[in-house]
Amino acid sequence: MPSEAERDKPRSWDDFAAWCGVHFTARQGDASGSVAFVVDARRSPTRDRLLSDVIRKKFPKALWVAYDPTAGSESAEGARLAFGKPMRDVLDVSKADVIVSFDRDFLLDDAGFVSNTRGFASKRAPKSAADPMNRLYVVESTFSTTGAKADHRIKAAPTVVGAYVAALAAKLGEAAGLSAEVVMGAQRLVSSSGVQIDDAFVSAMAEDLLRDEAKRSRKGATLVLVGPSQPAAIHALGHAINAALGNIGSTVRLRPMSAEEAGGGLAGLKRVADALNAGTIDTLVCVNVNPAYDAPGDLGFAGAMLKAAHRISAALDHTETVEQSTWQLPLAHSLESWGDLESIEGAISPVQPMIAPLYGAKSDLEVLAHIAGLSGAGADGYELVRATWKARSGFAKGDFERSWRRALNDGVFTAPEKGAQPTIQPEGVAGALRTLKITQPSAEALDVVFVAGAVGDGSFCNNAWLQELPDPMTKIVWDNVALVSPATAKEFGIEQDKDTAEVRHARLIDVSVGGQTVRAAAWAAIGIPDNTIVMTYGYGRSHVGRVGAGCGHNVYPISGLNAGNRRAASGAKIARVGSGETRYPISCTQSHGSMEGRAIVRETDLPAWRKYGDDPFAGMTEEARKRAQTDSYRQQRDLNYAERLGELAHTPANANAYINPQRGTKTEAIAGSTAEHGSAAYRTDGKERPVDFAREQQWGMTIDMSSCTGCSACVIACQSENNIPVVGKIEVNKHREMHWIRIDRYYAGDNLSGGITDASVSFQPVVCVHCENAPCETVCPVNATVHGPEGINYMVYNRCIGTRYCANNCPYKVRRFNFFDYGVKKFNGDYIGQEAMDAVGLDPKNKNLIPPRLRERVDEVTKLGMNPNVTIRSRGVMEKCSYCIQRINEARIEVKLKKLDRIPDGFFQTACQQTCPADAISFGDITDTKTTYPLAGGGTRTGSQVLSLRESQRSYMLLGYLNTRPRTTHLIVMRNPNPALASAERKASWEHPFDHGHGGDHSPGEGHGAKPGSHAGTDAGHETNFIDRTKSTTDAGYRLSLGVLPTALGV
Amino acid sequence: MSTIFPKWTNALPTVLLGGVLSTLAVGVGGAWYYATPKYWRSGYMPAQPHLDELAEVRTVKVAGSNVPDIPGHTFPGFSHQIHAGKLGMDCRYCHSHVEESAEANIPSVSTCIGCHAEGHVNDELYAKKNRVQFVRDAWEAGVRYDVIDALKRGGKIDEAEAKAKEFADAGLAVVKGGASVPWRRVHKVPDYVRNFPHHAHVAAGVSCYSCHGNIMEMPVVYQAESLSMAWCLECHANPEPHLVPPSKVTDLYWVRDQLKANGNAAVTNTTDPLGALTPGGKGLLEELSKKPMHLLPQNCGACHY
Repeated sequence: MPSEAERDKPRSWDDFAAWCGVHFTARQGDASGSVAFVVDARRSPTRDRLLSDVIRKKFPKALWVAYDPTAGSESAEGARLAFGKPMRDVLDVSKADVIVSFDRDFLLDDAGFVSNTRGFASKRAPKSAADPMNRLYVVESTFSTTGAKADHRIKAAPTVVGAYVAALAAKLGEAAGLSAEVVMGAQRLVSSSGVQIDDAFVSAMAEDLLRDEAKRSRKGATLVLVGPSQPAAIHALGHAINAALGNIGSTVRLRPMSAEEAGGGLAGLKRVADALNAGTIDTLVCVNVNPAYDAPGDLGFAGAMLKAAHRISAALDHTETVEQSTWQLPLAHSLESWGDLESIEGAISPVQPMIAPLYGAKSDLEVLAHIAGLSGAGADGYELVRATWKARSGFAKGDFERSWRRALNDGVFTAPEKGAQPTIQPEGVAGALRTLKITQPSAEALDVVFVAGAVGDGSFCNNAWLQELPDPMTKIVWDNVALVSPATAKEFGIEQDKDTAEVRHARLIDVSVGGQTVRAAAWAAIGIPDNTIVMTYGYGRSHVGRVGAGCGHNVYPISGLNAGNRRAASGAKIARVGSGETRYPISCTQSHGSMEGRAIVRETDLPAWRKYGDDPFAGMTEEARKRAQTDSYRQQRDLNYAERLGELAHTPANANAYINPQRGTKTEAIAGSTAEHGSAAYRTDGKERPVDFAREQQWGMTIDMSSCTGCSACVIACQSENNIPVVGKIEVNKHREMHWIRIDRYYAGDNLSGGITDASVSFQPVVCVHCENAPCETVCPVNATVHGPEGINYMVYNRCIGTRYCANNCPYKVRRFNFFDYGVKKFNGDYIGQEAMDAVGLDPKNKNLIPPRLRERVDEVTKLGMNPNVTIRSRGVMEKCSYCIQRINEARIEVKLKKLDRIPDGFFQTACQQTCPADAISFGDITDTKTTYPLAGGGTRTGSQVLSLRESQRSYMLLGYLNTRPRTTHLIVMRNPNPALASAERKASWEHPFDHGHGGDHSPGEGHGAKPGSHAGTDAGHETNFIDRTKSTTDAGYRLSLGVLPTALGV
Repeated sequence: MSTIFPKWTNALPTVLLGGVLSTLAVGVGGAWYYATPKYWRSGYMPAQPHLDELAEVRTVKVAGSNVPDIPGHTFPGFSHQIHAGKLGMDCRYCHSHVEESAEANIPSVSTCIGCHAEGHVNDELYAKKNRVQFVRDAWEAGVRYDVIDALKRGGKIDEAEAKAKEFADAGLAVVKGGASVPWRRVHKVPDYVRNFPHHAHVAAGVSCYSCHGNIMEMPVVYQAESLSMAWCLECHANPEPHLVPPSKVTDLYWVRDQLKANGNAAVTNTTDPLGALTPGGKGLLEELSKKPMHLLPQNCGACHY
């Protein structure tokens, strides 16, 4: 380490250039390989050009490693075994009707997750009963968002997952087109592993992959995915299955990758570490990587790098590697620099700066150019990229300037090439299978699987937005935990506190693999296989900014030992931490996982939808239909499919005690009816618009929970758009998080603690639903929350005095309160309330106090991060979703200037809608019955997008029985189970989906909710049926409430 | 002995004291209430440009050479009376984005130098009195930048560096596009009111005169109206007296004459922005009400979000 005074001496880029001139000229043509480069694993043509044209020529023996701490070489090696050369796969999920995922979280923890999600969602949200829907089988060792969307999910330890792939190959067999030696190898693997395979599951899956219900071939319309935790042989087997099913070139396309990339950064990093230890390297250059933190423990990289006399590290912010470097260079953000990047599909795009570097930083290309001895215009990012493309044959057609400007405008240099697809080499696959051994985990030798969390590989550890983004499953913020199954937790005595604890604590454990030990906080969770630990990387940074300091634990030391798989390890041991600090506080935004028997998230299976989706009263006699469509006041109501699943079918109608200000009349459409949902009733009266709405456009939103994967991108989009502050771990523990959108996670299933198919999960994004009869408005003493003529529930910040009565009265719990000046004075270090926080004696984590000399600067930069069109709220003010009213107002002015009468459908999008990769959110005018859209099968459909979804049979109002009349409606979750795997109970529910259980009844012990035969679908007399017979005998509170009902209803 | 003071006089001091106090209270309260302007910044009239800041960004070290010949801080460095009034320049010559943007922009120094470069209008007068020296100084900073930049682009890096050093030694500023003149903002709505959309109002036919007052006769611009919420709502509730044909929005003398002629009511209606207006501005609201998009927002969410 250099002396402190020497290290802290500020230096300029000119100093660095001058030093480079002397230092690297001396090493030019160096034969001993005294220079090593460790760079990030991006694919950039300009960087490749710099490497081959300049750096390689200047330092022919230099080590060059493109390193990604989260990627192993298993997938590339698997492709090499199967096809003879390393390749990467590009998925087209939209073409797949049946998808089988073996431990691959292709909907979130995957390079192409955005396009995967879009493709998956396109066949996940049927509009009518006849619409197609895909089916997803998942065998996985974590509980991922992909597992949550699965129609059938099996949990299995990472080593056991491989046995399932082999079992599937064996079941498909030669008849499906697999070669005999591969089938034999697979059979041998299954039998030698001793794994108890769920044969019914595998048979049904194999049959489903081959043929659909009508016995038509599914060739080329399926997809088998193998995840990063699996060894290369299993990846190869996955490719063989895909090839046999005709998927290659259809749902999955393979692209060649360079040998350098395929080798994986880890092998290269090991070479660098060995050379460092041998003392042959005297200059180490690290660009945008942090190996001192994320290298496997057995490399001892942090110690080894000190053996190089000159350590140059360029990074976006402070890292462990920068801390140990002699030259610490600020790297420009990609929004501040010029560059080019290749996407996974193979399209090459320009990187264009949005702003000049805020801190005088330079991009990775510029840093490398300096080292390579380029100067002046030659070391300028813009010129470097231009030079690459000038020299590129086939890019410029005619005038270069013209092609260049066209590329900058389109954002694409070259479109992906559709290369020829390789053919499978069965002998390679079979050979690999022969050498593979599967050992099941035990309590003495557990399996570990590593997954990505919100902060990615750790480079976003200092990003407060991502730190405070709840994990989709555990809902834990600001930390990572080691997930284990409840049974394993019990066995080791490492269960966390019950969720009644004021500050929940997890037990600290030591996890040892191959001589390396890491500390972690254990957390028992549903859906994790026994004897398996699921760990999230990217936390536990030691040298990071003030935000990320002290968050979570580092798990990298036990990943990728012996240059092996970075995403899985086996033979781990758990030891409870016995002395010192044995517990660790955890903050969680949602700890409860049950809906307690209420129909909050509603689910239905595809067969039931096929039967009742177009007419929820299908098959009823005229008499029964009439009764079913009559409420307790004997008024007509047209409940749709989704509402029939919920309380409205069983609760008495609401009698209006007052005149609705929106309509000016008492006689209004009944809550929950089709007329209420949109304008079906209004359309028939021959008027242009519903007469009793105000003249303005009426905004509404729909959220399709069937396509929602819970990825939480909308939460960050909303935070960015609306200047929503982060509050820190301590405040989250007091449930003071400020996110306007929260994504509720509910577990469902028959047996939440055991069995291999224990639980399914549903996500429900909840935002302010902008009730027409808003309970918050009636209680505000200062009229700070009022209704606008466009149906928006306004929040007027400068009127709010902070009584919080509105939040108390909101049944959706979507209002957020600024307990401190989170957004305004965060950096002053003297905000009111700091004493209070100090007094409770919690460590200074997440206080975000910036040293005085930097405050002014940081305050200035913080301003740049704010949206100028949205007020920054101060202490004591309530806030909530505004339907992005700033965007509405902007659109209105623009439309007015264009002399249009109203804002056209789709003219603008809300921030969450714009960001949703699954297209689950729609927003628009719910009175727009004029806009026409072409239908896929020809013809047109009228009405705005949001109206068509609001009128859909799947749309229901959350807590609609409270007569809040939400403007945001939710669309029910659809699942598409394989009839061959469905229980008799579940099958019966397809015949009578509206009977007890209400589809969404997710309380433990009831599951997907059908009690067949309790009363037939044709006998739906609602006058008496709203009394739940089962509940009335088991639930004291319910019994009590029943005592009041007879007088009120006269029954 | 008869009493000199009847018994009721015992209460007199109390009554008197009470009377005096309540009179005082009413007096003070009344003065406070009625004499307070509706909005505190009403009448705010800063010198333009900001003299202290101008001194800070002085680009020439020679004392006094570039400061306008100002006795105290009252001299109008920039006069709207001359530019908008006497010369009759259109508002949009300088505030050029007002029709496309929410902000009515302050012009950059290049707009000023279009007329005030050496050898242009009224050069002799300016040379004598140094009146536009601050504009020229700001512009020169940009010219110097261009000199260095041209050298750099021509590959003469050493010459460029020598030049930069020369300027630095002489205390001359080098700023891309010219240094900014420290104009001061006069009209400002509070933070909790989102951007006032100039473009929407101009397109609807709200004259500059309606909000900014008699600009063409103000040597130093001051805030003529209160810009309070009540003042905004007054117009939004009854816009008829304030709307002019869009072509006349910046024709301030014309607008003022019309207002005088019509007794500060109904300005005009010859070619109404929204079509079909009856003479005298009557029926405007009725017309507006037929077009939902054109209703003037009076709801909270139009400005506060």
